[in-house]
Amino acid sequence: MSHLHIPDGVLPPILWGPGLALALALLLLAVRATRREAARTVAYQGALGGLMLAVMSIPVPLFALEYCLTLAGPVGVLLGAAAGFQVAFVVCVILALLGQGGLTVVGLNALVLGAAVSVARPLYVRLAAGRGAAASLAIATAVSQAVAGLCWFALLALALNLSPGAAVAIGHGGARTGLFAGITIGLWLLAIAAESAVAFGIGRFLARVRPDLLPAAAGRAAAVPVAGLHGSAP
Amino acid sequence: MINTLAQIDFIASAGRSPWHRASALGKLVFAAGAVLLAVFAPGLRLAIALYAIGWLAALTSRLPLRLLAAAAFYPLLFAALFVAVRWDGSWETALRLMLRPLTASLYVVWLVGTTPYPDLFAPLSRVLPRATGDGLFLTYRALFELLGRAEHLFRALHLRAAAKLPARRRLPLAGEGLGTLVLHGFERSQRMYSIMLLRGYSGRICGCRHYAEWSWADLWVLLAALAVTGAGVLLWRAP
Repeated sequence: MSHLHIPDGVLPPILWGPGLALALALLLLAVRATRREAARTVAYQGALGGLMLAVMSIPVPLFALEYCLTLAGPVGVLLGAAAGFQVAFVVCVILALLGQGGLTVVGLNALVLGAAVSVARPLYVRLAAGRGAAASLAIATAVSQAVAGLCWFALLALALNLSPGAAVAIGHGGARTGLFAGITIGLWLLAIAAESAVAFGIGRFLARVRPDLLPAAAGRAAAVPVAGLHGSAP
Repeated sequence: MINTLAQIDFIASAGRSPWHRASALGKLVFAAGAVLLAVFAPGLRLAIALYAIGWLAALTSRLPLRLLAAAAFYPLLFAALFVAVRWDGSWETALRLMLRPLTASLYVVWLVGTTPYPDLFAPLSRVLPRATGDGLFLTYRALFELLGRAEHLFRALHLRAAAKLPARRRLPLAGEGLGTLVLHGFERSQRMYSIMLLRGYSGRICGCRHYAEWSWADLWVLLAALAVTGAGVLLWRAP
C-alpha cells in the first residue's frame, strides 16, 4: 500500500506532473538537510534501500493472500525523514526501471513511500520514551503505513474524480468504485498489521543486539554513538 | 524474482545486438520520448504504431522471448483493473487505455535489457543530486546480495516449519530474521565506506563515461527515433 504499482498512461498528467515536481523539490530539500553527513551515510542508505527492494520482491504468504513487505517504517526510523526520503526516491526509480510501476509515476510513488518513511522516526522517538523499542517501532510502522495508505487513497480518489476532459480520465462508476475501495481498505488493514508485526520483530532483534542503530528516545542520549548515524539529520 | 533480475542484468551487459552497442544516453532519451508519446497519444492508430515499433525494437534486441513477454505484459493486470473501472462500453477506449501502459513497459524493458546499469544510472546521476545519484549505484549493488540473503532467510524459515505457526508469531519471527539483514547491511556499509575512502571517494561516485560514447550503432537508435517521431507527426490527429 505504500507503493503504487500503477503503470504509465493510467493516471492523468495533471496528477503525475505536479507529483514529480513536488517529489524533486522535496528531494532537493532532503539532500540539503543531510549534506554534512551524506558522504558517511550514503553506503548505509544504499544498503537499506537494497533491503527494501529485496523484501518488496519476495511475497510473504499471509492467510489466503501473498503480501510484499516494504519496510518503510523501520527504514524511516533507522535513517530519519530526510535520508529516508532520498532512499524512497531511489527505490522508486529502480522499481520503475525494473517495470514495477511506471516511469511517470516515480514522483507520486516517492511521495507515498516517502510519507511513510518520513513520519516514522519522529513518532518512534516520542513513543520510545515510555515503551520498549520493539513496541515503539511497531506502532511507528503502523502509523507510517496508515499515512501511506491515506496518501494512496487520496491519489486514487483524485485520479477517479478528475474531469473527463483530462488526458486520461478514470471512471465515474459509483458501484465499481465502491467495490474497489472496499477491497483496498481490507488489504490496507492487512498490510498495516503485517508490517507492524514484522517491525516488532526487527525492533526486538536490534534492541537486543545493536541498540545503537536505533535512535534514542526523546530526552535520552543515544545508547552508543559508534554508529554515528543519528546526528543532526532530521 | 532474483533469477529474472539477474537474467536482465546479465543480458544487458553481455548482449551483442546493435542496441547493446548504442550509447546509453541516446537510448535513454529515445525511450523517455517514446514513453511520453505513448502516454499522451490521443488516438488508437498512434498507440498501435508505437506499440508495433516497440515490439520491433524489443525483438531485435535478442532478449529471451519469455523474459520479454513477462516484463512487457506485467502492467496488463493493473491496466485491466483501471479499464474495468473506466469502462464506458467502448472497446476502442479500453484498447487505447490498455496500450498506453503496455507500450511504455515495452520501451522500458528494451532500455533496461540493452543497457548495463552503470551506463543507465550514469546519465541519471548527472541530473540528480550527488547523494541521490550515488544512492542509485549503491542501492542497486546492494540489492542482489541482500535479495539472495533474504531468499535464503525466508527459505530457512519455511524449512523450519515457520509456515505452520500462526501469523501473529510468524511475522515477528520473519522480522527478527530481517533484523539480521539490517545488521548485515549496516556492517557491510561500514566496510564499503572505508573502501570508498581508500579509493579516494570525495562525495561522488564517478559513473563510467561510456554512456555518451557515440558509435555507428547509434544510427539504429536514431532510425527508431525517426520512426517514432514520424508516427507521432502523421498519426497525432488520426482516430
